[in-house]
Formats: sequence, structure tokens, C-alpha cells
Amino acid sequence: MTERHTAVPSDAAHLPALTEFLRNFWSETGLPTVEAVPFELALEEVFMNVVMHGSQGGRVPRVEVSVALVEGGVTLIVEDDGPPFDPLSLLAPNVTASLEERPIGGLGVFLVRQMMDSVRYQRRDARNQLQMTKQLAVGPSTSK
Amino acid sequence: MSNPMFEIRRGSAGEVAMAGRLDATQCDAALKFLNETADLRVIDLASLEYIASAGLRVILLTQKRCKAAGAGVRLINVTPPIHDIFRYAGFDQILDITRAAG
Repeated sequence: MTERHTAVPSDAAHLPALTEFLRNFWSETGLPTVEAVPFELALEEVFMNVVMHGSQGGRVPRVEVSVALVEGGVTLIVEDDGPPFDPLSLLAPNVTASLEERPIGGLGVFLVRQMMDSVRYQRRDARNQLQMTKQLAVGPSTSK
Repeated sequence: MSNPMFEIRRGSAGEVAMAGRLDATQCDAALKFLNETADLRVIDLASLEYIASAGLRVILLTQKRCKAAGAGVRLINVTPPIHDIFRYAGFDQILDITRAAG
């Protein structure tokens, strides 16, 4: 099974490094570029959520990211050692409200849940772990 | 695979064109540019490859501002992956969105 792992402090300045990590995995495994966007979005939203909400008392959590090819799809796991927080407990934003009443924020986790096939949260060993999986329409193109 | 940066500029027909990746690190610059654009009517997204919720926030704030000042903004040449994200966010109901041809 192809799997890659990286870790960064939960600081927005490290978002480009995470994006590059995911894109490198994509090209190494020969996955079609067009299928990358939902995973790039999921990684950004979950990481930025930890950046925004994970720091308590000035301590910056460490974020660990794993990405792996699974049967017919890709699994992305984001873990952090910040305070317990289940992003799936957030209320869904109103995406049918009129422009005037449309809330400005709160779309991130909602989009992740829409775009991934499954999203699972667990608190384990004093860490938040979010596991996301999505099947791909087209598989890797490395079979030569 | 290249890692395109984000670019925003004013086109010859007065439209604003965005290209590359509108992620959380680029949204402040994008919002500033849009806020400083007079008579903003059209945003061309033909070369936009990626957007996340931070970018959606920029689009939503811009649409609220333009609508309050008169006409709303139109998004044109929206590619399928970006259109999917707009649709999930329900933006197709509050913005005039035209998909890319082909």
C-alpha cells in the first residue's frame, strides 16, 4: 500500500507545504490531477480549523498528516495534539439562505463532509484524529 | 505537477481575472484587490484551479458589497471542479455563475 506521512506546526504559514506534500503524493502515485481538488480542500479546511481553534495558552499543536491509496480511493488522516475538538459536531451552515442572510463563515467542514465519501472523528491518545476517504472516478495511471 | 501561485488582475474589458490557487494564504490579498476595484461587474475564473472556504468567503463578501451598491457580480468561465464547490456551498442560488464552455 502506498502511504506518505508528514508533520507541521499548526501555523497557517505551513499550508503551502501541506499542499505540496499532497500534490507530490498525487504525482508519485500517478493519480489524475482533476481528482486532487477535493482532497486538497479537505486538507486545507481541517488544517486551518486546527490553526484557528487548536491553540490554547499559546501552545501550538503539532499536526500530522497521512495519505494512502486504498482500494479504489484515497484516505487522508489528519491528527493534532490540541485540545479535544470534534469538527463534525459543528452545525451545518444554511446554504439556502438569501444573500443578505447568508453567513460569512462556517463552510469549511461542511464542504469536507459534502465532498468526501466518509469522514470519521475520534479522540485517541490525547489527539484529535479525522479520517476522510473518497473513492476515485479514475484510478492511478501507473499500470504500464 | 506544478504548484501554481495565485494571481489576480484587471483585464482589458474591465473584468477581474483570477488564476491559480485561492487558498487561505491568498484570500486577504484577493479581498483587498476586489475591494479596491471600481465598478466590479465580472470575475473571470477560467484559470482558477482551486478554491476553498477562505476563497468562498472572499466571493461572498464581494457579492454582498456589490449587491448593496447596485448590481451583483457575475462569475464567468467556471470550470467543473470549481463549479462543484460553488454548488455544494449553495452559491449557485445567490450568484450569477456561467460555466466554462466545453
